[in-house]
Amino acid sequence: MKIQSIVIRAGRSLKQAKARTILTSLAIAVGAFTITLSLAAGAGGRSYTDQIVKSNTDSKELSVTKTQPKNQQGPQKYSPNFGSTALSSELGIQTVLTQNDIEKISKVSNVVSVSPDYNPVIKYITREGQDKYIASVSTFSPSVTLTYAAGSTNGDIADNEIILTEEYVGALGFKNAQDSIGKTVEIAADKLSAPVTAPETKIFIFKVQAVSSKSGLAFRSQRSLLISNSAAKNLYDYINVDTHSYNYFLGASVRVNSAENADSVKNTLTGMGYTAQTAADILGVVNTFINVLQGILLGFGALAILTSIFGIINTQYISVLERTQQIGLMKALGMRKRDVGRLFKIEAAWIGFLGGAIGSSLAYLVGTLANPLISKALNIGDIRLLIFNPLSMIIVVVGLIFVSVASGILPARKASKLNPIDALRTE
Amino acid sequence: MYMIEVKGVTKIYGKKDNAFKALSDVSFTIPDGASVAILGKSGSGKSTLMHVMSGLDKPQTGQIIIDGKNILKLKAKEVDKFRSQKMSFIFQSFFVQANESCYNNVSLPLEIADVSFSRRRTRVEAALKAVELIDKKKAKARELSGGQKQRLAVARAIVNSPKILFADEPTGNLDSITGGVIENLLFNYHKKFHVTLILVTHDPELSERCDIQIHIKDGIVDAIKRKKI
Repeated sequence: MKIQSIVIRAGRSLKQAKARTILTSLAIAVGAFTITLSLAAGAGGRSYTDQIVKSNTDSKELSVTKTQPKNQQGPQKYSPNFGSTALSSELGIQTVLTQNDIEKISKVSNVVSVSPDYNPVIKYITREGQDKYIASVSTFSPSVTLTYAAGSTNGDIADNEIILTEEYVGALGFKNAQDSIGKTVEIAADKLSAPVTAPETKIFIFKVQAVSSKSGLAFRSQRSLLISNSAAKNLYDYINVDTHSYNYFLGASVRVNSAENADSVKNTLTGMGYTAQTAADILGVVNTFINVLQGILLGFGALAILTSIFGIINTQYISVLERTQQIGLMKALGMRKRDVGRLFKIEAAWIGFLGGAIGSSLAYLVGTLANPLISKALNIGDIRLLIFNPLSMIIVVVGLIFVSVASGILPARKASKLNPIDALRTE
Repeated sequence: MYMIEVKGVTKIYGKKDNAFKALSDVSFTIPDGASVAILGKSGSGKSTLMHVMSGLDKPQTGQIIIDGKNILKLKAKEVDKFRSQKMSFIFQSFFVQANESCYNNVSLPLEIADVSFSRRRTRVEAALKAVELIDKKKAKARELSGGQKQRLAVARAIVNSPKILFADEPTGNLDSITGGVIENLLFNYHKKFHVTLILVTHDPELSERCDIQIHIKDGIVDAIKRKKI
């Protein structure tokens, strides 16, 4: 018997048991829905982080820290030079980079420049006649893509220039972002080493060069005010000079002369006892996280599929029982065992196809409708967090067809082994 | 030339203590194009004989030679092919597929025999015309009356132009008028196309119309009566 005839007959007999067919395939549809959505979320998440990392990092840039001692459980033993090699941070006690390290790193071949992460802790920001606001200040990096509400930068900013965020425009009494361009703001910083009885505070003046707007791709500097590297060093020096942590840094960014050399520099630095991360490494870390989440979702989908397998087996067994006579007749008319088995396997395949198609198109529909809502809720602009890849949707449907056929094997075998004489003796 | 030769066929059901001899050393021959009635009470083994002759059941000993071939020596696949190309069946309880249209009911044997789509159509329509059901082509089989259902079964049986037509109590579930219609259909077809017709029945009137009467009793051939032609 030709496969085509079997497929048509299988389709017809499913059509005659509409309710049962649809209910059975709905069970698969639940699994298909979950799997399609989690694939879309994974693809969307990866592309989102990819964009974030690409627009916030430079493939010529490495982020370097001192390699942390491994297998360290419990508190670290005190050693006399502890204070000079470790710095406590929010992550706990961390071994730090010293000026000596910075020099060593800058001597590595292919390294263009090394700039420590200054992150000066300022006291407040203000403007003449306005209130004082706390703020965090970071270093402006030309490789970070920013979108501007007003003003712009020509690659880099001068040492007396600052980039504000939109939030500070209103707070500092500007009419709008455009109004703030070219105006000056004051940043106050405390000298930490000054005695408590005689505090020292210095005002640093900056000219507003640009106002960055909120971007879905912003990585860390969402709320930081940006100043040039040497301005940050200036601030840092004033604040930290003469303290015990002066010139100890948690990390540094290393610029390499070309992206191709980033990996070799990374290896050299690793050999020297530093941990260096390239843009790809950072992407990898974030993606691992996304992959784990996606894996959990896929697991739920697989669980739903597993349940539906028993649904198919059950439905097909009942179908074989109900159609004993029909099977007997077909065999009496000379239909081969193999073809009888195929008829039932193809029916299962139809159920799988139906379930897969219903589930994944429902997921596509829901996802497409939900995309703008998710973007709005997460405040990431017009970035789509669910990306439906037609190929992966087809793979899901085809995969489910195979799963269904596999679960149809047992009932199909029962049908093909039916003795036609017994089947036709049903009076 | 014989169409069917049955030689020393013994069929035993069950094992050891429960063993039951349904057929015991049965032998006879049926010439090509003959009409045969297999007569006997229920439980006499006449249905088993039909199953054995059509390859649906395998006897323990003996030979079944159909059209020159011993079907007991063939593989299952070849027996299936044999049945789909050379034999047809009509059953007492019709066994039409209630949910399928008349057209698709009749088309089934042709699909099994791998007949192409276009040829299927002409042959299905011809068969439906022969049993006067062409106007019910698209109707579901469950909408038909008992007599119509059996006519549909006849159409299904003749559509693949078989050499042997087995009919197991074809009129058993029908009243005498509709039963008569089916009888006429079968005998007309048998005469027109020179088909070997094998009727399993306990209706003496029906068996009177056949060339050969094989009486089965307790699994043994009791008597064979041949009409002189």
